[in-house]
Amino acid sequence: MTLINQRPEAGEPRSWRFPAFERRTVAGGQLLAAHLPGRPLAVTSLVIDAGAALEPIGREGVAELVARAFSEGTAAKDAYEFGVAAERLGATWRASSDWDSLRLGLEVPVGELAAASELMAEAVQTATFDDDVLTRVLDERIDELSLERSQPASRGAEAFAAAVFADGSRYDCPDGGDPSSLDRIELADIRAYRAARVARETATMVVVGDLESVDLDELGRLVFDGWDDKPDDASPPVVSPRAPGRRVVVVDRPGSVQSLVLVGHDGPPRAIEDYVPMTTMSLVLGGMFSSRLNLKIREEKGYAYGAFGSFDTRKHGGVFAARAAVQSEVTVPALLDMVGEVERMRADGLEPAELAQATAYRSGVFPINFAGVMAVGAGLGDIIVHGFADDHFDKLREQVMNVTLDAANAAAAARLRPEDLVTVVVGDASSCAKDLEGAGLGPVTVVPDQQ
Amino acid sequence: MPTLPSYPFTTHRLDNGLQVLISEDHLAPVVAVNIWYDVGSRHESPGRTGFAHLFEHLMFQGSANVARGEHFATVNAAGGTLNGTTWCDRTNYFETVPSHHLATALWLEADRMGGLLEALDQDNLDNQRDVVKNEKRQTRDNQPYGSWLDQLHELAFPAGHPYHHATIGSMQDLDAAELGDARAFYETWYAPDNARLAIVGDVDPAEALSLVEKYFGGIPAKGGFPTPPPTTIPPRIGREIRKTVPDRVPVARSFLAYRTAPFGTKEFDAIQVACAVLGGGRGSRLYKSLVLDRQLLQPSDGMIVDSWPFIGGATVTVADLPAREGVPIDSLEAAFHQEVAKISEGITDAELERAKAMLTSQWLHHLASVDGRADTFNQYATLLGDPGLVNEALPSVLAVTAADVVAAVGQVMRHDNRVVLTFIPDSPDEQEAAA
Repeated sequence: MTLINQRPEAGEPRSWRFPAFERRTVAGGQLLAAHLPGRPLAVTSLVIDAGAALEPIGREGVAELVARAFSEGTAAKDAYEFGVAAERLGATWRASSDWDSLRLGLEVPVGELAAASELMAEAVQTATFDDDVLTRVLDERIDELSLERSQPASRGAEAFAAAVFADGSRYDCPDGGDPSSLDRIELADIRAYRAARVARETATMVVVGDLESVDLDELGRLVFDGWDDKPDDASPPVVSPRAPGRRVVVVDRPGSVQSLVLVGHDGPPRAIEDYVPMTTMSLVLGGMFSSRLNLKIREEKGYAYGAFGSFDTRKHGGVFAARAAVQSEVTVPALLDMVGEVERMRADGLEPAELAQATAYRSGVFPINFAGVMAVGAGLGDIIVHGFADDHFDKLREQVMNVTLDAANAAAAARLRPEDLVTVVVGDASSCAKDLEGAGLGPVTVVPDQQ
Repeated sequence: MPTLPSYPFTTHRLDNGLQVLISEDHLAPVVAVNIWYDVGSRHESPGRTGFAHLFEHLMFQGSANVARGEHFATVNAAGGTLNGTTWCDRTNYFETVPSHHLATALWLEADRMGGLLEALDQDNLDNQRDVVKNEKRQTRDNQPYGSWLDQLHELAFPAGHPYHHATIGSMQDLDAAELGDARAFYETWYAPDNARLAIVGDVDPAEALSLVEKYFGGIPAKGGFPTPPPTTIPPRIGREIRKTVPDRVPVARSFLAYRTAPFGTKEFDAIQVACAVLGGGRGSRLYKSLVLDRQLLQPSDGMIVDSWPFIGGATVTVADLPAREGVPIDSLEAAFHQEVAKISEGITDAELERAKAMLTSQWLHHLASVDGRADTFNQYATLLGDPGLVNEALPSVLAVTAADVVAAVGQVMRHDNRVVLTFIPDSPDEQEAAA
């Protein structure tokens, strides 16, 4: 057998930049458009400043309901007719909310961009939000949540949010709400959130695709003409983490063959000086296959299918969390290993080779991540949400390439807080709660599954 | 209807039998490298279910010139992404890298195609066996409804048929796997003449081919591949098979499977269009009736009913029906069968056009990325023997007529050709007892 034992040298990299895009004001609305030649499909969408972070406290989940209700009946079409109209264009309607935005739109053959944009306008401007529609959308969401919560990962995310943030604080439940918040939502709340947050002023249109023969002004007019809603002022949300210190919450699921474990604490918002070194550091800790958490928990110990850790940086705050689904018998040893990796990163920082690998990966993967129209549309959405400059992604890539060991280590020291780690276990309490008591992870509270 | 692109490609065969496909696309400075080995869980020996997939994990544990852990690390350090998957009919491995790292991706694939045994050891096997068992726990044993896929395989395909077991296999068989099994599996199936390599993206075809020659050309052919276990099976089940599983689940949910002619047949194309008419999108019949009008079924963004691309004698068309809270599962199931039966009265041109417009966009979306396209070229090359079907598959779906849809539903989605697997919530008392 003849294998070549010499590793290939890389060739000359082709230069890459985030696709050029333009900003226009059309019919009083803002429009961002990126021309990506040669793609048969294009995206038309709206990014609206109506995310979950601005919901009234106690009505969490209302933004997602607003997003969903737009397609469920307009002045001219019922839900079925709206679906048919989109799908006859070869379009798939998507609408959802996250913490910092509500996004909706369609991916469609480029020749149907105008028709698709017209449908989008019909939805945002004339959706009826009738009692029947909203009742169904709310009931469907409640059923969906019960299905989601039966999965350990979703139940764990909910328990983690509640364990990290104080009651009544933003981020104390997942961005789609929890059973008690959905239970409190009245139909009027859904209408009120739409009225308060969805308007031409809070919306930005994003068009991505082969725009060679597309009249952007026409698309913009289709969406913004006649859209007269006025948004209310939004007050910035209050984010209050619970008291510092370690603690453990076990969501008891008798008979579980695995424990879903989360270990973390509250974290900074997106707009911080050390965002880039911090996230490169967390890539080494838990963001790649070759990260420390995955190598330890999966490749060395075989405790889990995978282990990860990352910062989720939102506009008004965030979280750091490491997570894995581990075999029940090794719940405590796995947790101690995970906590150990956080402590080690905080104390000793990165190896130069780890920094080099993370930097090469993170800077190299830009052209892959932004190859498609949907991904470029999502990138433009982030530029809108965070108010980034037009050259944001190119600058970001430069910053990624220039992260120093000192900067990454400083971020580890400043942003990881092993002394405040909150542990959540979704699993069989009888098999791990006793061992957790003496494990140094803080006081243990066991809660029933259905809370 | 948009103009359909025709994706250019060239094919080559190395002296050792490796079939190579190269397709240029310079829209982005990236390239996809994708290998399909013509071996999957269908080829496993009795008592070794799950082995093809376990073996796939071992392919990431190092090879002659690649240390343990280096495979992932090397691709990541090139700014690339990678993975591998195993299914009944095949095992695939793939990397997407910035195009100036093409040689690195090819070198890594060649090294494990030709030199895996030099790194394979008991530690790797034991570690990855634990990982795979935890993968099974995470995706099946510790998930509500998690056993549905394994059970559906068992019910829809008779004992002795290679699709009777799902790809993940059984814990018992995973425990029984030995290092000798891994060596034998590799020596039997992993060879250039049992593989197809697709390279799609920002490459010069001549340069890419010479790199392939350089890195793969020295790997010897093996030949003599065993005849896979026979897949002969009657085209229809011939009766209704029902199973009810009380379990710790929040709502009742039925999974249905109909035995269907395999991937690549006219019946399969017609059933694909039928699935779109019935259950693809918010404008489909099932969505309108079951989700919107009668509120029996939980909505989802995916297909309510869909066919799988199996080639071993038959495949299945599968429906997933989670009930709304408080809805008796019998009512939901009856309503589903009613909608299916109504197809016999015909479908309208508008319904057919909607379904085809959706299938067209989904196809274009799937092929838009270089990695999706590379994988699809290899899918058609490996399963149907012709990568050129990438440019012909959609036109043949678009040629399906309303009469074809009615006929296919009448043939396939019958009472005496279905499996109905139903999960119902345990009462809390029973849960206590089970715990």
